[in-house]
Amino acid sequence: MRLPTPADLCWNVKCSPDQEWIERTLRIAVENVWPQALEAAHSRNGHGSHVVEIVESAIEHAVCRLKTGDPLGPEQVTQLLQRLVLQEVRRRRRANGRMVFVGSSEELPPTTVRNPQIQIDCALDLEIILQGEPPDVRLALLLRYSRFRWSEIAAALGTTEAAVRLRCKRAIERIREQQEGEQHES
Amino acid sequence: MNVALSRSFRKDAVTLTEHPFIPFDNEDDSLLFEKLQEQVLAHYPNPERKGCPDPAVLRNLIDNPSDVTLAELNDLHIFKCAECTRLLIELREKKKHTQASE
Repeated sequence: MRLPTPADLCWNVKCSPDQEWIERTLRIAVENVWPQALEAAHSRNGHGSHVVEIVESAIEHAVCRLKTGDPLGPEQVTQLLQRLVLQEVRRRRRANGRMVFVGSSEELPPTTVRNPQIQIDCALDLEIILQGEPPDVRLALLLRYSRFRWSEIAAALGTTEAAVRLRCKRAIERIREQQEGEQHES
Repeated sequence: MNVALSRSFRKDAVTLTEHPFIPFDNEDDSLLFEKLQEQVLAHYPNPERKGCPDPAVLRNLIDNPSDVTLAELNDLHIFKCAECTRLLIELREKKKHTQASE
């Protein structure tokens, strides 16, 4: 992998004029730490494709710490950055512990689907809620959904209003529960 | 309270008075189903009408609900289709107007 320049990796380091030493020492530290970071990413994660992100994250944390302390020399900043890089590698390894990566995102075909989840995440899935309900209950609920009155539904199914409502009672309760849950979440 | 259920000719048919716990007076679930319709109209657009039953089946559902089967309706498809829901509402409203004018 091509070695990024320290300027590439320190792109988001913004310091006031009296803290310019942070940027200067960090550039040196990045040069020192880079080979070790690459090796650590390879040996712990199995690949080094995220090494830039790892080092950038470590730099961000280092800047936060350096801004609040006394000025340090390049060696001390290198040690700090080394520690933060290893912490970041371990954190990513734990987070990805149960995932298996096959290939990379670059190999995926382009898609026009944005995120279908967004569209239905707040809609009730009646198919799932009514799974397992007998056909007469499903039909009765479809008719009620189509704005038939319960008495009309009973007539269509050849039964009484009380009977059809009793048959649908449990399913309706489940729909209500789900709907109330959705409203609480939103 | 124990209520003895008298069965009529259908196994599951019981009379209204035998189930006082069902709130008939002020609750016929209209609001619930209106809310469901709103959600389906908002979240399940189906402009390509994938899986939709024939409009004639929906008309038949409104005119003769006892003649329509779940299979003809593609089971619960309507619960996931804004287009079918919209058409059903229109057909139902038309029928109400027709009945009112007669």
